[in-house]
Amino acid sequence: MKIITINPDICVGCGNCEYACANEQKGNFDIKNSWIRVNFYPADRVCIPWNCAQCEDAWCMRVCPAGAISRDPKTGAVLIDEGLCAGCKMCMLACPYGSIHFDLEAAVSRKCDLCGGDPQCVRACLSGALQFVEVDRAYEFRRRQFDNVLRAMPGIAKQDGEER
Amino acid sequence: MAKEIVKTLCRMCDNRCGMHVFLEEGKVTGVEGNPDHPWNWGRLCSKGKAAPDIINAPDRILKPLKKTPQGWQEIGLEQALDEIADKIRQIQAQYGKRAMSAWKGEALGFNQEEEMVRRFCHAIGTPNYFSNDSQCFVCRYMAYRFLYGTGAYPFPDYANAKCIVIWGANPPAAHPFMTRMVMEGKQNGARIVAVDPRLSMIARQAHDFIPILPGTDGALALGLIKILTEKGWYDHDFVEKHAYGFEELQSYAARFDLDYVEEETGVSREAIEKLALLLYKSSPHVSIYIGNGTEHHVNGVNNSRAIASLIGLLGALDRKGGSRVLEGAGVRDMTLYEEIPLSHLDPIGADKFPVLYDQRHECHTMTAMDAILSGDPYPLRGMILTGANPASTNPNVAKVKKALASLDLFVVRELFMTETAELAHYILPSATFMERTEVFCHAPIHLLNLTPKVFSLPEVQDGYDFWHDLAHRLGAGEYFPWKDAEELNAWLLEPTGYTVEDLRAHPEGIVYQPHRYEKWKEAPLATPTGKVEFFSTYLKDFGMKGLPEYVSPSYKADPEHPFVLTTGARKLLFVHSRYHNIPRFHEACPEADLEMHPDDAAELAIADGERVSIESKIGAVEMKVRIVAENEIIRGCVHGIHSFIRDNVNEITIDSENDPISGFPLLKSIAVKIRKIKGEGSTPHQPD
Ligand code: SF4
Ligand code: SF4
Repeated sequence: MKIITINPDICVGCGNCEYACANEQKGNFDIKNSWIRVNFYPADRVCIPWNCAQCEDAWCMRVCPAGAISRDPKTGAVLIDEGLCAGCKMCMLACPYGSIHFDLEAAVSRKCDLCGGDPQCVRACLSGALQFVEVDRAYEFRRRQFDNVLRAMPGIAKQDGEER
Repeated sequence: MAKEIVKTLCRMCDNRCGMHVFLEEGKVTGVEGNPDHPWNWGRLCSKGKAAPDIINAPDRILKPLKKTPQGWQEIGLEQALDEIADKIRQIQAQYGKRAMSAWKGEALGFNQEEEMVRRFCHAIGTPNYFSNDSQCFVCRYMAYRFLYGTGAYPFPDYANAKCIVIWGANPPAAHPFMTRMVMEGKQNGARIVAVDPRLSMIARQAHDFIPILPGTDGALALGLIKILTEKGWYDHDFVEKHAYGFEELQSYAARFDLDYVEEETGVSREAIEKLALLLYKSSPHVSIYIGNGTEHHVNGVNNSRAIASLIGLLGALDRKGGSRVLEGAGVRDMTLYEEIPLSHLDPIGADKFPVLYDQRHECHTMTAMDAILSGDPYPLRGMILTGANPASTNPNVAKVKKALASLDLFVVRELFMTETAELAHYILPSATFMERTEVFCHAPIHLLNLTPKVFSLPEVQDGYDFWHDLAHRLGAGEYFPWKDAEELNAWLLEPTGYTVEDLRAHPEGIVYQPHRYEKWKEAPLATPTGKVEFFSTYLKDFGMKGLPEYVSPSYKADPEHPFVLTTGARKLLFVHSRYHNIPRFHEACPEADLEMHPDDAAELAIADGERVSIESKIGAVEMKVRIVAENEIIRGCVHGIHSFIRDNVNEITIDSENDPISGFPLLKSIAVKIRKIKGEGSTPHQPD
């Protein structure tokens, strides 16, 4: 199964992912229609492209009184059935990450559905901060990053070769 | 319905990402990134994603238009070309061949288009070729060329760098797919430095962000050179064997006392010393990328040269993790500068900016506006402009409009009715990148590509057909002997050893040459001395300064105009004046804005979202203020976005003050004052 991983060390906060999501959901570039949201904090120069984590034991799914939330067996995405959603917004409250949004036009809650298995935010991410990878390879970049620190360490790096 | 996938390269900007086009019954219904293309590995930015909006736009011009007293009238293509050819003949008979000119923009094509236009000009006997290169790219091109004799910029070897310096550039907005390369370097352990008056998107991810006053880059670079040379922190062996003018550079830089540099640039002494140490410790694996930010100043070329000198000093030239000297694929050159030299005909601007012409055969667009209006040095009466919108993107757009509207013949090839097209006598519909075939090289990865014609429309010509048909009508057909773009491509590719068929079989391109480092070990550089020229013998021979001497920007000495205005940074969805007519883009980002430091805004009692008047010495424009965070712009500096449909900052950018070497306008060094507009309340701005 594949998941979306985020890397706040390289996200530049460009917003292409938000545009791509809005385009996929509503056919426009109005980022209020995007389920992924990028927060940028200028003072500490931090960009966080946050999206639904498709929790295994999902708060939203547990709380939904209408039973409108289920898991897509194919992609593992947590889905909201708009036919069943009563628009009570409890899932929005329950989600600890604020990853559920409300669609005023349709009067239902909406969230990331992994675009059925080809998430468009990832296909738009210029920096590579978003990856859609098999779970067993997730966060490989963190291991690589740590390896780089070790590899450069005196005593570990070989004397004669390239240090990196 | 049958869905066909055609592989091509996006050209919503010149990054040219690998793209899959979905065709249904001959109509483009969607696009996505080509996962197998090594440039963008399946990703497309928002502009690329909206390519069908441009291809299928309801406002696309699809019939030749002629301006009549009753307004625009549709006419047949053959008739339009006949009439245009007649008029060109008249103008050239009456005023001389050089009274005609052509201007290549970027909205339709780029390299291949450029060479066709250059070829056409010389084929019909005029040296007057214009382009956006009077204000973009060429400054840095020259800086590198004078130092290293290179044709293309040496390109940073980001993936292997220990230190990456992004100086005056914002790849996510301007060269989107370079972002990934920089970030790959970061993930491999490089330390990232961003030097910019604004906290650009790339600067958000820099380890060290160094805010700098606009146009003072040369002083900072010379301060760094002073430290590096004084401490002996440079590549002695490389400099001794491969450089010319080191002593001169060292003794000139010695004058750049760090207290002066701090005062001049706004960068603290500690930050300068820290950067010098970082460069030294990381050398030679230092990747420096210089952007358009250093170009638009009175000392643009020399500032850029001073920065680029660091590459040679640190021994980073063509070294792993340094700046790679790129090799071309050997695609044929279409220009006629050898066969038909025309420099004796006084190309427009060549007297004022001789280096620009000598280096690039580039005439100066801003001088052209004066020449058109005054007839001095000679009448310039006709112009064919292809895919450019100078009435929005050149400085002093009021003058541009007046000049272009006064021509005897003004022909515009375009997709849309732009500010410039409105001034034309004829508008000819033009092929988009999907309606033509062309050769394209991703130089940084040595990848040769051929794009296919995905579909075509009647009476909508590609560039080649247009220049071919016109040249043949003007008796210059011998220079356009190829039947169509396909035949031309075959000829262009001949020296590369690859054929059209080879490239068609490889829609993801062919790597024509693996990268080789340290080529300077094998052959001298293409500079006059064959060495790295810290002192440019070429410029000296032109009667200019051989060293990259520093000149302080003039805005600093203008108490009447206490702010410095910079322009030219981009928003994600637009490329200069392009794509504002995509309704979903316009809705997402409808308004131009002026970025301002919160303390400056507080001092003037200006609220976020308030409209203000910005005045330069040539005029005033109103814009809506966006108050940014404290570290997002340097104090005393405002940034005005250019070429939105309304509130275009180019109404007040100045055309008549230029870098004497490149001729570039000072688009990022403009002294302005900012006035509150009486009775103006504020409305919050839209998110970016
Ligand atoms: S597209 Fe990528 S780099 Fe840009 S904001 Fe989204 S996650 Fe960050
Ligand atoms: S960066 Fe965007 S607009 Fe430019 S070529 Fe790539 S997808 Fe197209």
